[in-house]
Amino acid sequence: MDRNAHAPLRQRLLSWFILFLGGLYFFVPLIATIDFSLRARKGVLSALAYQRVLSDPRFASAFTFSLEMALLTVVVGVILVVPTAYWIRLRLPQLRPVVEFITLMPFVVPAIVLVFGLIRVFSRPPFLLTNSFTGTQILLVAGYVVLVLPYLYRAVDTGLQAIDIRTLTEAAQSLGAGWWVIITQIIFPNLRSAILSGAFLTITIVMGELTMASFLVGLKAFGPYMSQVGQNRAYEGAALAVISFALTWAFTMLFQFVGRRALGGDQAFGAR
Amino acid sequence: MAYLSLQNLSKRFGPTLAVRDFNLEVERGEFVSFLGPSGCGKTTTLRMIAGFELPTSGRIILDGSDITTLPPNRRHIGMVFQSYALFPNLTVADNIAFGLKVAKRPPEEIRKTVSEMLDLIRLTGFENRYPYQLSGGQQQRVALARALAIRPRVLLLDEPLSALDAKIRVELRAEIRRIQQTLGITAIYVTHDQEEALSLSDRVVVMYEGRIEQVGTPFEVYNYPKTRFVASFIGQLNLIPVIVEDPQQGKVRFDNNVLQVEPLPHLSRGQAVTLALRPEEMNLGEVEGRNHVRGRVLDVMFLGAIVRVRVDLQGREVLADLFNERQLALPRPGDQVIINFPPHACWIINEA
Repeated sequence: MDRNAHAPLRQRLLSWFILFLGGLYFFVPLIATIDFSLRARKGVLSALAYQRVLSDPRFASAFTFSLEMALLTVVVGVILVVPTAYWIRLRLPQLRPVVEFITLMPFVVPAIVLVFGLIRVFSRPPFLLTNSFTGTQILLVAGYVVLVLPYLYRAVDTGLQAIDIRTLTEAAQSLGAGWWVIITQIIFPNLRSAILSGAFLTITIVMGELTMASFLVGLKAFGPYMSQVGQNRAYEGAALAVISFALTWAFTMLFQFVGRRALGGDQAFGAR
Repeated sequence: MAYLSLQNLSKRFGPTLAVRDFNLEVERGEFVSFLGPSGCGKTTTLRMIAGFELPTSGRIILDGSDITTLPPNRRHIGMVFQSYALFPNLTVADNIAFGLKVAKRPPEEIRKTVSEMLDLIRLTGFENRYPYQLSGGQQQRVALARALAIRPRVLLLDEPLSALDAKIRVELRAEIRRIQQTLGITAIYVTHDQEEALSLSDRVVVMYEGRIEQVGTPFEVYNYPKTRFVASFIGQLNLIPVIVEDPQQGKVRFDNNVLQVEPLPHLSRGQAVTLALRPEEMNLGEVEGRNHVRGRVLDVMFLGAIVRVRVDLQGREVLADLFNERQLALPRPGDQVIINFPPHACWIINEA
């Protein structure tokens, strides 16, 4: 702050200019998309494309389907990641680099490879899952859990770093608590904001995911649906992009709000 | 048999032996401190009693049963940590109630115990605060109440005051002793602060490099240290090299001075030994029946209740602690002075 105040005028102008460029980069395509989505009727601005999108029953069903998959992914991912990250920090710190590397695999192995692998393994006995819709949904959630690992694991691990889990664990143990009580009553509640931010990233990623969804469930999911609409109907595609963007933002707000409430107000982020 | 018995405890971390052959008997209701520099094994020993570390060898017997390998959550031993370790997501009342809820005590009993505990630590009215809304001293009192609420068989305290300000530290020290005596609870207190250990404990266990150096009352370990380490670690110590002149009469020579000490029947004439004595036994001026040595004042430190004078005693630096009085004429650096001390104040440390 001090440095900014004393910085020469030219330097400050430069900072603002760079910020302005960044803003342009972010907002111009967004404004262009919004503008385009409003031009479905020739010569006038109208919400026609939006009406069409929203009146298509496939929109609602694809959206709810993907939202359900996203929430399931969050639940499974959190149940998998939180105890793992906790245990590694507590008892197996030497394994941390290994686990971090594993969680980064989705950045190295493309989703298409992962989904082919899943289909190959689970399309024949003894693990036949691809022959039923429930089976493919299970595969989809499993794939998503892997896909979001880098984000979820990192969020949770950072959250664990912020609290002294070793001493808290020992304090709980000395008071008679077993592992179940420690994880559910001490670790989870104190990781709430970390889990929320990981969950938010998970939902955003799953809602827009195209590759895995296309191969496993096709147009039932929001990603493939959006892609198809975008290919066939330009204005509706743009309207859909804007809607999904708005929904994503709404989710961010919702999570921030819920997260803050759950932590007992703004003060929780203050001292200590 | 003692209430808590630690038998031949050892703990090895890789190549280092953190605790070696530790033996101690603690009586019910006793307050015992483990005192020593960092790395002496005091915390490791405490953590073995708590169950957070498994001994490499040895046994821990509590109230007649062997708890050496019992998991920490089944030992019923309370613990207070240096970092307080309050659960950040729980209020003061919920923190105190935690152990009781885990034990599935009836709600009415929990409510009653929590209010008793708040009363005991004088924080009634704070039940709905969160840890981050409390000062360090208050947090540590809550941590103490939380550990006591489960009526533990033993209370372990791991440097509980180290993170606090000097004034709060002294206050809380007295509070801990008061509460321990009120409840008659058996307590083991780990500290590197000798003042804490001496003022709180029934007995002090002085540790160094994983070994017990001496066990005794604060009076004993301070006034009758058994090893050179204990003598130098607890309190200040003046060491004066002397030659034995007459062992039967207790006469030794320091430079040109013949000093009278207690008889030294086990030593022989001409032997070089070290004379040890506490700064508070040394005084300025001449007093009938005492030893006298000339010296030069190097500096004077005013510490409030006492005035610490550093004196060059014919090439040997010693400290003399004088009680402060309003009429005291403070010596000045460079002053020539005579140091006196009584014969019975000294003891002999054999040169290696």
